[in-house]
Amino acid sequence: EKADPQKTAFLLRKAWTLYSVTPLYGFRRARLRDYARLLGAFIAAEKQKGLAVEVGVELDIKVALSSLAELRGSELDQAALLVQLSSRSRASSRNSEDKPVWLGWFCSVFGDDLSENVPEHFTCLPLFLSHGAESYTSLVGSWFQKTFDCCFRRLAISPLNLSWMVAMWAGCKLDRAASAVELLFSVPRLSQPLDISYAIHPEDAKALWDTVQKTPGEITQEEVDVFMDCLYAHFHRHFKIHLSAAKLVKVSTAVVSAHCDGIVKILHGQYLPGVLMLLTELAISQIQ
Amino acid sequence: MDETVAEYIRRTVLKMPRDEIKTMLQKWGFLSEAQLQTLNFHQIKDNISQEVVQLCEENSADIKQAAALDIIYNHIYQNKRMWSVYQMKKSGEELEYFDITDFKKKFKRRLRSALKNVTITFKEYEDNAIWIRVAWGTPYKKPNQYKPSYVVYHSQTPYVFISASVLKSNLPLLCQALIVASNYHDIREMELRSHSLNSLKDIVFKRYSQNFQTYTPKPLQGGNVEPENADTRIVQENRSEKERIHKLNQEVFGSGPQPKLEFAQYRLETMFKSDPKLDVLDKKEPFRCLVKFSSPHLLESLKSLAPAGMADAPLSPLLTCIPHKARNYFKIREKKGLYPESFVNP
Repeated sequence: EKADPQKTAFLLRKAWTLYSVTPLYGFRRARLRDYARLLGAFIAAEKQKGLAVEVGVELDIKVALSSLAELRGSELDQAALLVQLSSRSRASSRNSEDKPVWLGWFCSVFGDDLSENVPEHFTCLPLFLSHGAESYTSLVGSWFQKTFDCCFRRLAISPLNLSWMVAMWAGCKLDRAASAVELLFSVPRLSQPLDISYAIHPEDAKALWDTVQKTPGEITQEEVDVFMDCLYAHFHRHFKIHLSAAKLVKVSTAVVSAHCDGIVKILHGQYLPGVLMLLTELAISQIQ
Repeated sequence: MDETVAEYIRRTVLKMPRDEIKTMLQKWGFLSEAQLQTLNFHQIKDNISQEVVQLCEENSADIKQAAALDIIYNHIYQNKRMWSVYQMKKSGEELEYFDITDFKKKFKRRLRSALKNVTITFKEYEDNAIWIRVAWGTPYKKPNQYKPSYVVYHSQTPYVFISASVLKSNLPLLCQALIVASNYHDIREMELRSHSLNSLKDIVFKRYSQNFQTYTPKPLQGGNVEPENADTRIVQENRSEKERIHKLNQEVFGSGPQPKLEFAQYRLETMFKSDPKLDVLDKKEPFRCLVKFSSPHLLESLKSLAPAGMADAPLSPLLTCIPHKARNYFKIREKKGLYPESFVNP
């Protein structure tokens, strides 16, 4: 299903923090406005208790919940659920616009592995992405956990999965000037920490990947390994350093950049479904 | 006192850590000891700086004094700035007597002939370093005191360290003034940059411990080796490998502390070579990469790679050449012909 680029433009070029979420119990799409009201009241109450988000600033937080039917893989997936927190300063006039302060959304893109085996009354939206202050994320997360008996966990991305991302998207064909394919490594346990940034010209990375990938449209673990080994070997030839023994911390391609702490930035709308599908898969394996 | 001067002094004092303000003002020497005694250093910095400005008002400070205070701050906090290294060239071998007055005169004259609105301040330090501060204006605007360039020149050497402001367009003029004033005929920027000014000096003045080829006898094996268990042989091998790595590291890096650099950057334009069995990329064009190493203390970090098992020993000359080649920016191309495995650095 092709997502309308207009509706999903807000997803692009923002840093999203990733979580896996276990299925929500008793969630009903028809009650979105009720939920928004309840969440708003919860946030206001928490702030009264002194868990203030911004000290010294009088802010009313308005909550909006909406569904995004476009953001899913197939009919079997639940439509994405968007949570928006905006603020209106009490000092400003009634007509002033609400300022968005936090954004979060739940989604499932080809998450059949999970939804197949789930009993009635459970809604599967295993991937959660947030953008904005951590304190708001924690408030929203707590409310959802309490209300729908689910569990949020930060989604770490292993070096293995990071290298899949490089392999998958280094070979992408892009109309305008693509950015470099960059791998960021950190070398642990040294007396002085060392970071190594290894950036490859996008055309050359693509040329290498094209000779590694044997079947278009299909990627195997072997091919990813060969691709990475080639990059490691080229590096070793020059510097005599074993990059494979270093910790792969962050990767960037023209399509997406991802950090091992579970932070991604999606740069190109064209590949959004592919990226979300991979992330959904990662979320599901963390849940199971 | 000019309002802008007052504001500039106020902001300069605000930058200083509270318990260092007194020392810096003393070094400055513009306020008398009696005046300094009247200052209360136990209040918030905002108030201290206001009091300092008032005292400066009493003494009618002008921009020259304010600039001098700024040099003192930047000399102590030199590592907050990024420094580049430039090397000057003389046409002949003449050993000229360096006259500091002549240098300053020529420098100021050269700059002012091109740009009316500049503030130029000099300060000499014990280690033969001449610090020059230049605040840049335009024909129509007074100099921007908040974005000055700093130059550090050791008159006995052809090296100049420059921490330019963002106004890069003034760099050629600055360079010209330097060579005219110091009687050199050319200046070029070296591929060497760091926050640590002293380390840059260590590298170009060759003040770090270098790798002298000395004979170190291998330590005697045997003797008190207790036979522990069947694994003794494995332990032995590991130990001799560790010793080999340690010895190689010593040879390459020397045994003293390394100059402190924060990064090294390599632009690679070499060919991609791989095992033909893999059946991968076999292009005739370079595989273009940009590699950047960063660390709070890069050379110490690189030195510890082989002992940690992260790298082969000896480490690649691309990395070990950094101090003696005095550069941390490299462009590496393939060397054609005889030695396909070695690299050429243009």
